Formats: sequence, C-alpha cells, structure tokens
Amino acid sequence: MNVHDEMSDSEVLRAVSELLSRISVADPPDVEAITARGQVRRNRRLATAAGLSVAVAATALALSLTGVLGPSSARIPGSMRTMSFTLVSHYNGTATLTINPDVLLDTTALQNDLQRDGIPALVTSGRFCSSNPAPAGFWQVVSGSMAPQNVHNGEGFGPGNPPTVTFNPAAIPAGTKLSFGDLPPSSGMHGVAMGLIDANSYTCTSTTMAEVSEVAPLSVFWPAGQS
Amino acid sequence: MSNQHTEFADFFQASWEPCLRALVAVVGSPALAEDQAAEAFAKAWASWPKLRRHPAPQAWVVRTALNTGASWWRRRRRELPLADHDLTAASDPDGGLDAILLTAIWRLPRRQREVIALRIFLDLDTATIARQLGIEAGTVRMHLSRGVTALRHELTTTENMEAGQ
Repeated sequence: MNVHDEMSDSEVLRAVSELLSRISVADPPDVEAITARGQVRRNRRLATAAGLSVAVAATALALSLTGVLGPSSARIPGSMRTMSFTLVSHYNGTATLTINPDVLLDTTALQNDLQRDGIPALVTSGRFCSSNPAPAGFWQVVSGSMAPQNVHNGEGFGPGNPPTVTFNPAAIPAGTKLSFGDLPPSSGMHGVAMGLIDANSYTCTSTTMAEVSEVAPLSVFWPAGQS
Repeated sequence: MSNQHTEFADFFQASWEPCLRALVAVVGSPALAEDQAAEAFAKAWASWPKLRRHPAPQAWVVRTALNTGASWWRRRRRELPLADHDLTAASDPDGGLDAILLTAIWRLPRRQREVIALRIFLDLDTATIARQLGIEAGTVRMHLSRGVTALRHELTTTENMEAGQ
C-alpha cells in the first residue's frame, strides 16, 4: 500500500498543479506591444468590413491566376507568404520580410501585405521614390540582416542566404511612409532599396543599383539572372 | 488611455500567468507556450469589445492560443522536435518523481491535458470546460477521470519503486 493509493482526484490535481507551478515562466510582455499587435488585427477587420474584402479577394484571384500563390502559400495567422517573399508578423508589433532572391518580387502583393500589417509603404518596381530632404528615423524602423554594414555591398545574399529585414511600424514617424523599390538588374546585379519618404512630398524616378545609393539609405543586391 | 484599454491591461496582467501555465501544461514547451499566449492576447485585444462580456475570457485566450498553436506547431515543429525536453530539464534536471510525473503528464492524450490544465490553472467547472472545448460535459468528466487515474498510477508506481530501493 502506498500513500498515493489514498489520493483523491483533487489531491492528484493539486500535486500536478504544484509541480507545474514550479516551472519558471516568462513575465508578461509589455501590454502596449500586445495591444499594438491586436490593433493591427482590429484594423484589418475594420478594413474588411468597410468593403476591402472584395479588393483582397480580387488580389488573391489575380495572384493565383499569375501563379504567385501556389498550393503551399495558404495564409497562416501572422504570416503572409508568396513565392517571392515571406512576411511574418510578430506579437510585439514588428514584422519580418524575407525576400526570395530566386523569384521576381511581386510588388503589388508586398505593398498590400505591408499595409495589412500596419506598415505604411509605397512599393515600386523599376523606380525608387524619395523625398528631399529625407525624413529622419529610418534606422529606427528597420533592422535585420540588411544591417548597415551590408549596405551597398550585397555580399553574401543569394538563394542560400536570403535578405531579411524587420520593420517596426511603431517607429515610423507620423506623416511618413516606407519607400521600397525593386530595382532592375544592373551590372549583373538585382536588388531592392529602402528609405523613408514624406507621404505628401516625394518623387519617383527610374534608377539603377549604381545610382540608388545617392537617395536610398539602404540597398541590397545579389547576382541577377536567378529569377 | 481608454476605459477599455485600462480594463484590458488589468485583465492581461491578471491572466498572463494562469493562461501561460495552462498552455505549458498542454504544449510542453514554455517558449512555444509564451508565443502562443502573446498571440492569443493580441487577438483578445482585437476582440475585446465582445470578449469583455465573455463568461470565461481566460478560457477563450487559452483555447485561441491552442488553436493558433496547431498551425504554428505544424510550421515550426522541425525547429522544436524535443520541446518537452526543455521543460523536463528546467523543472528537475536530476530526474526523480518530478521528472517522472512531468513525463507522465505529456504522455497523456492532448485532450486529457487540456481538460486538466483548464481545471487546474483556470479553475473552470466541467460545464465551462465543455463549452470552451466544444465537447460534452460527460466527455470532459471522462477525460478528467482517465487523466487523473493515469497520473495517480504514475505517482503510486514511482513511490513504490523508490520505497523498494
């Protein structure tokens, strides 16, 4: 006979509770980070209720017709995936973009997904938009493998090491938006450039990787011809 | 700060630990449980105008986290193949009764772990657990009974082994 033979259900549950309660768990994160993440979801819902669902459905249809969304690209909560990029939303309100250097970037899908994650952005193809003077604070908005030491050299990016960047929407100054340009191949390289623009005052010009460094605080590139 | 925001902040502070512990009991990995809890609380804020009138909002958070966790886990399982080992090591690195009981908990079928976690950490009655899990009250009682019986057996066996040494 053992003492546990006499244990009631509640005593067994108490023993389990005491055991599990000894496991250290994380303190709660900042409630502001939680509500910021939740606000993105709430805004998406409101936008859908306002009638944008039709536009979203049309976009999804267009993407599926063009083959951008394949069978494996089903939406997972908190992430957006196409063949050309993955955008993952984090609970702290930030979002991480991973670019597939093997596939031409779908700029329309990227702009829609960034905006759905609460990141005001202007995504262009073959052009880059900038403001003069450029708004301050860009490096408070972005982080990730596209770190300053990688700017303008592009070394190391490729199929086995896709460029990634994490956006912090909360750090985007009021009245500005992110400018994201997918640039045409130049000198055997293909890539993207980013910066902040004044939402009400900017110009968009055709540019190459060689020229974009004059106006973009961040540009990364990789050998062209892979897409 | 709005009244609703203040109300949610109070709910969040009071509910984080019991919800997280319930999730740890079910999923095994504290890190995974933390991610799921954070995502579920974000969803809770997004639905707060309705959720604030919910009879068991903590249970809603746990259920939402577990639903989130299914797809999350499918996405990440290659990265976390031995998640429950983290918990065993964290709680009792030298083994013993705690480690054996923890192992027994995660050997239970998932539904039994869910029922036990909701009972222990959220102090929910059978009817509320049934509503939250979408199953019959009789099924909740069955899972609870089977789970407790298995854990009692493990406790008994372990005690007997230690007594015989």
